[in-house]
Amino acid sequence: MSATNHRWQRDVQIYKYPLLSAPFLFWGVLAIIGITLSLGRLFTGLWFTGMSDDYAWGVWKTFNVMTLTALGSGGLAVGVFSYVFGAKKLHVVMRTALASSLLFYTTGMLALGIDVGRPWNLYHLFLPWNWNLHSSLFEVAACMTAYVVLFLSFENIPMLLEKAHMVGDAERRAKLNVWMHRVKRMLPWMIAAAYVLPMMHQSSLGSLMVIAGHKVHPLWQTQMLPALYLVQAFVCGFAAVIFILMASSLAWQRPLDMPVLADLSKYMSWTAFAFIVLRAADVLIRGVVVEAFRPTWYAVLFHAENLLVLVPALLLLSPVRRMTPRIVFVASILTAVGGILYRFTPTTLAYRAGHPSVYFPKIAEVLMSLGYIGLAVVLFIWAAKKFAILPGSINDWNDYVKHVTSKDAHGQETIKGLRIEHGAATDH
Amino acid sequence: MSAEKDKTGTIAEHLERCGVDRREFIAFCSKLMVTAPFGLALTNYLGVEAVAAEIGSAKRPSVIWLHMQDCTGCTETLLRPSQPDLATLILDIISLDYHETVMAASGHDAELALQDAMNANDGKFVLVVEGSIPTAGDGAYLKIGGKNGIDLLKEVAARSAAIISLGSCSAWGGIPSSGPNPTGAVGVDSIIKDKPIVNIPGCPPNPYILLGTVLQYAKAGSLPELDDKKRPKFAYDRVIHEHCPRRPHFDAGRFAKQFGDEGHNQGYCLYRLGCKGPVTHASCSTRHFNEVVDAWPIGVGAPCFGCTEQFVGYTIPAFQTVPITGATPPATYPDVDSTHEKGYVAATATGIAGLAGGVILGAGYVAARKFSTKPGDESVPGTDEGESK
Amino acid sequence: MTLSRRDVLKSLGTGAAVAATGATTVAASSRNPQPPTDAIAMLYDATTCIGCKACVSACTTANGLIPDTTLSGGIWQMPTDLNPQTKNIILLAKDGDKHSFVKRQCMHCVDPACVAGCPFTALEKGKYGIVEWDGSKCIGCRYCEISCPFDVPRFEWAEFNPKIVKCEFCNHRLAEGQQPACTEACPTGAVIFGTRQQLLQVARQRIEANPGKYYQDRIYGEGDLGGTQVLYLSHLPFAKLGLPEVGTESRAHYGTKVHNVIYKGMAIPLAVYVVLAAAIKRRWKVMEEEAHREEKETGLPHQL
Repeated sequence: MSATNHRWQRDVQIYKYPLLSAPFLFWGVLAIIGITLSLGRLFTGLWFTGMSDDYAWGVWKTFNVMTLTALGSGGLAVGVFSYVFGAKKLHVVMRTALASSLLFYTTGMLALGIDVGRPWNLYHLFLPWNWNLHSSLFEVAACMTAYVVLFLSFENIPMLLEKAHMVGDAERRAKLNVWMHRVKRMLPWMIAAAYVLPMMHQSSLGSLMVIAGHKVHPLWQTQMLPALYLVQAFVCGFAAVIFILMASSLAWQRPLDMPVLADLSKYMSWTAFAFIVLRAADVLIRGVVVEAFRPTWYAVLFHAENLLVLVPALLLLSPVRRMTPRIVFVASILTAVGGILYRFTPTTLAYRAGHPSVYFPKIAEVLMSLGYIGLAVVLFIWAAKKFAILPGSINDWNDYVKHVTSKDAHGQETIKGLRIEHGAATDH
Repeated sequence: MSAEKDKTGTIAEHLERCGVDRREFIAFCSKLMVTAPFGLALTNYLGVEAVAAEIGSAKRPSVIWLHMQDCTGCTETLLRPSQPDLATLILDIISLDYHETVMAASGHDAELALQDAMNANDGKFVLVVEGSIPTAGDGAYLKIGGKNGIDLLKEVAARSAAIISLGSCSAWGGIPSSGPNPTGAVGVDSIIKDKPIVNIPGCPPNPYILLGTVLQYAKAGSLPELDDKKRPKFAYDRVIHEHCPRRPHFDAGRFAKQFGDEGHNQGYCLYRLGCKGPVTHASCSTRHFNEVVDAWPIGVGAPCFGCTEQFVGYTIPAFQTVPITGATPPATYPDVDSTHEKGYVAATATGIAGLAGGVILGAGYVAARKFSTKPGDESVPGTDEGESK
Repeated sequence: MTLSRRDVLKSLGTGAAVAATGATTVAASSRNPQPPTDAIAMLYDATTCIGCKACVSACTTANGLIPDTTLSGGIWQMPTDLNPQTKNIILLAKDGDKHSFVKRQCMHCVDPACVAGCPFTALEKGKYGIVEWDGSKCIGCRYCEISCPFDVPRFEWAEFNPKIVKCEFCNHRLAEGQQPACTEACPTGAVIFGTRQQLLQVARQRIEANPGKYYQDRIYGEGDLGGTQVLYLSHLPFAKLGLPEVGTESRAHYGTKVHNVIYKGMAIPLAVYVVLAAAIKRRWKVMEEEAHREEKETGLPHQL
């Protein structure tokens, strides 16, 4: 594709804005509170949470892990459509997707580590003779760890190398070139694994609730849970990426690229339809559709989840609407909320405990959960300012290069390996 | 007890004539209220004064008391309360016209006294029977004044207004009737079929049950409500297990396992020592005896042996446990909650989550307005070109 | 109590040798799980239980637990539910004006869901079929609480070193040739101890001898949820006692059958990997060529 007639031509670094903006400070404070409380939790038990034997899983597992990693499946969703199905337009937003995925996942796993009651025994993850291969939770733990540590991190290496290359001296750059070459060679194989693994654990996240049997309301309890969770991961992945792209454009006053966003919306709506079709088939075949029409809160939840995903998908069927910023933005939010609701509900809202009891997280618990989210947000903001992860124009890139090179202690104006066309610099 | 005592006057008049202190009488009435709070019309008043007035206005009932195969324990129970004046009080409230143990007469005088008493109140006196009636050998095992007990009973009962079988022996046979029952001992109601009978079993029973019954008859001419064994419901409607002060120990699983062990010393439940409380209808646990608090078997650490119940008392071995059926479970048991069908989404949680959702959607709305509604508009959101009205 | 302790322990001896050869690895669940040959059991007859709670008291003592006296203000043991201080509890079930007591504790399922779900085999079905918890492997994830259809395992939320607490059949007493504390304490023989085979027979005899007395003439736990080693007889419907009536498929099987198919030998993930890698590799070539062209066009290095 010729890059020159699109707004988003390559990924750039948002260096112009100061780091300590209002959102950064807001989420930063939440992150600090959350981390502090987490450190405190390491010295106490879990008594301060709202969890009980009736609701043994609180927001950390069910929300930060089971729900937010769906939003963190942008790397999977954009990657599969881009590298496997060949949607070339999506390449330019790949890094945004990968960076946000890494942050959602690592903060999710942080929440998971804080949530377990006996964290000193986590080393058993590395002792194969103690693995229960039939356990969905084991699969989630092992697979997510392997994914984040080995593959998702690997996928995020290019942007780090690129930055190091830009600010490094000649000697360093030579070394980095060698590494870059190696990374490039390994990348296809690593990427394939980076799609298989999340397919495994995102579906296993769904499997987690199957064993609870009759404790999960029939509208949600199904052997199809793994498949539905997996499709929903794609849906939420797209929704999250769209939202992040548009929100960051709004926050940092950057132009949009509607064809790219339109494509993302299109794929979001396709996967959303796939979800709706699978869900409808499941509910009808299992014969529980009558539950959806009883006057209960369960029915309300059921319809809310489905409509929040279906209505935007229908709207985005129209190519014109896909090119309309406001519609795409709103659609991404509604879809994300619907996806969050679907992933969260079977774990808590539709989970009937042994007694008529209620789970509601305590303040400290909520602050910690928000803290992990805050950590992801501030790290994303910081990363956007330090590395080239958001899409921009070639001019943005050139401006940045000038900014970096003018800061170069050696006073270099050209960077080895790059040629700057003077015409392109003034093209807007 | 002499025939000279005025029999037509009311109880109040008689007490006054005898110089009985009104305070003592009120005390007696309040005791009666305490021991028969429910089921006895006579005590169904809010204040003791009202009860005293009721009793005071009743005519002194004439009572003829027959002893059969007895130990006289039931008479003793009437005469052995801790306050000596009460015995006098009782004897002044009822007109005890014939009682072989306490009357002065003996021999032929005694037989005459019986005939006189029956003649004077023919068809109106209350017959109290104490002791079982032997039926084996044509009733030869009991002879009183040359007559067989069974014949004496039939003769006197025929002229009575109502019969009270006081004690387990006269209610269903008692000790003499326990296996092999060589005398063929039976209760009164096995012999007399044509008179109203009230059974007050117990070995001995609490005297206030008798008094309550007699006074009601004196006042209202009626007997208290009876159960299927002709026992007054106000005293025999519950088994001991259902109103025992040691029930909480039972419910908590605390038992005395041997006499004198730690549990026994702590006053734990005596079920495992063979307490027949679960199958024995009686009111000992609330009325106690001799007007002394806790003066009743379980209260002193001896398991109830079911003296009021036929087929329990003197039949089931004293230390053999009995099955418990239909015991009312106390409210302190935790409930079974099988809510997997009935789960619900809590209102507060939904409210707060809704609020959070609302904030997100609200913020989303505000942000959304900064985006253009023009298709293909790629200008920076939030600027004049990007925003549209 | 109809069986002598000696009888039971004798019959266990033969099975122990077999069991000791390593019945602690987690096998895949099947549709028809078989109890171990040395399976012990408890038979609880709700019609005989008088609710005296001697079993609750005995369990606490035998297991070295501190009685839960919270509700009574420190006076007597009054738990309202299973909890870290209460491995066994008596509840009161009502059905109209009928009532029944019900003893609840770990059911020691034939195919336990908690064992199937535990990621690091901290819960295992061990000797005699007892489901045991191993603190050295437990990470405190509470998945066992989510999995258990009977809501049995309890977690010590208040502790810094929290344990999962549940009945373990008094395995420390069994090791010394004694029967579990609760079956020993029961004054009426409402709960008795024996091998599963023996107790099923006893239960069937009771049903035969008393037609119509027991609900549906049925033993709960014979096949329910794959079978359990705690068996129930009741005059009230089992659902009223809080025992889930959800069929004979164990939660372990229901919850892992799809998972086991997908991950068997990692065949499907590997196949997916091969397909994806092939697809990506194919596009990679094309992508690299395009990247070269763009680099020439713009003079800027291709971004990955």
